[in-house]
Amino acid sequence: MKTAERTTHPHAVASREEWLKARTALLAREKELTRQRDELSRQQRALPWVRIDKEYVFDAPEGKVTLADLFDGRSQLFIKHFMHAPGQPGQCVGCSLEVDHVEGILTHLQNHDVTYVAVARAPIEEIEAVRRRMGWKFRWVSSYRSDFNHDFHVSFTPEEIAAGRAFFNFEYQHPGLEDRSGDSVFFKDESGQIFHTYSTYGRGGEEFLGIYRILDLMPKGRDENGPYHTLADWVRPRNLYGQGGMVEVTGRYHTSGCACGAHQDTAR
Amino acid sequence: MTKHKTGTREEWLSARLGLLKEEKELTRRGDELARRRQELPWVRVDRDYRFETDKGSAALADLFRGRSQLLVYHFMFGPDYKAGCATCTTIADGFNGFAVHLANHDVMLWAVSRAPLAKLQAYQRRMGWAFPWASSFGGDFNFDFNVSITEGQQREGGVEYNYQRGGHALDATAVPEPVAQNAAMAGTDAASYTRERPGMSAFALEDGVVYHTYSTYARGLDGLWGMYQWLDRAPKGRNETGVWWRRRDEYEGEKA
Repeated sequence: MKTAERTTHPHAVASREEWLKARTALLAREKELTRQRDELSRQQRALPWVRIDKEYVFDAPEGKVTLADLFDGRSQLFIKHFMHAPGQPGQCVGCSLEVDHVEGILTHLQNHDVTYVAVARAPIEEIEAVRRRMGWKFRWVSSYRSDFNHDFHVSFTPEEIAAGRAFFNFEYQHPGLEDRSGDSVFFKDESGQIFHTYSTYGRGGEEFLGIYRILDLMPKGRDENGPYHTLADWVRPRNLYGQGGMVEVTGRYHTSGCACGAHQDTAR
Repeated sequence: MTKHKTGTREEWLSARLGLLKEEKELTRRGDELARRRQELPWVRVDRDYRFETDKGSAALADLFRGRSQLLVYHFMFGPDYKAGCATCTTIADGFNGFAVHLANHDVMLWAVSRAPLAKLQAYQRRMGWAFPWASSFGGDFNFDFNVSITEGQQREGGVEYNYQRGGHALDATAVPEPVAQNAAMAGTDAASYTRERPGMSAFALEDGVVYHTYSTYARGLDGLWGMYQWLDRAPKGRNETGVWWRRRDEYEGEKA
């Protein structure tokens, strides 16, 4: 059997037999992780549910809709808390990447009792402009006039921002931004009662970024080498790759022609 | 009324915080595994594999299209199938949406199947997908990467799939219901259906040399199957007793 050799590139090169031995050892750990993930999913669903007694009203392109309406005849509702503040010039590249994952599987989710809806705080006209530009088909409504974003800890008041203290990702911390990303799940029973069952923030949202599961298998991994060492280093709205512009540390994309203030304090 | 345990916001939060710790642990373990994957040695690919593509005959190195990393989804579409595997189809519905992001991050994603190119092209048009799809018809590529087996191997048994011999549902002599259902949806019999296997393989291109870096099969593909990430967090979970998914245009009430 040939031993691992080094060529001009820094990576170890091996025979098929050596690779297989290393790969099989890794497989055992991968299977462990798969089982651990299964177990965690069971525990996520075993969380107690919290009854929603407040009536949330959103603005949809066709007018006002309630949280109950968003279920659209199904019993399970997945809400993507899309970061888009009123008047925000750029669109969030991370949220845009996340929803690109769902476009193709929407029909499957809808045919398995799950409704997917994105909610953002910007007025519905501003949301519709982004949605049309991106050609997205999933439902996207505005919580502009609602407490929804604040109650589910993805938007923060000017006072919270000024004080540098708000409840985000299940702890008090500096919220950084007026809107943060998250995902929440709701259930509606036969009587029409709605329950909040689950929410996740921060890296919890990576579960819905299948692209990371793929990059984690690739030779270069996530390959995020700065300036931010996050996806903001490389992700752009999918139809704007190669067209210049810049992304703030917040993930907000600005086109090359954008002349807003954000450009002055960031590296690129 | 629901039979599920309900609680106050405080009770939920206390349970949620306990779970958060475990979720973070899982995230870190996933990071650690990703590091270990990148440490796997690479294996130089010396065989000259040929593929048929939209742009004509291509070598494995051509599939990189200027990138240094290649991801192959081994899509189950055998020469005898009338349509692509319905399960692979739902997986492809997921990655079709983000393949453009990969292509702009030095990763070229392809589907490769053994059916002749014309069949793949017709099916791709039907599903409206944009990712590139190559045919390995007549070559050893699928066999070498353990995603196709010959009739002889099937007869003799002891086929290697997912790094073990035999033992997978696709090898069972009594055909399990989901396998029978998938075979019927592909318009073929169970034996022909199971001569193809799902998987994904990663390759690197350096100084003109292609290296095989990684392959995964079976539930190793869970991460590619975007649908399950959402379902796992829905109150009812995966909520399945068998194959419930159909092609997007085959659900009742959906337009083709």
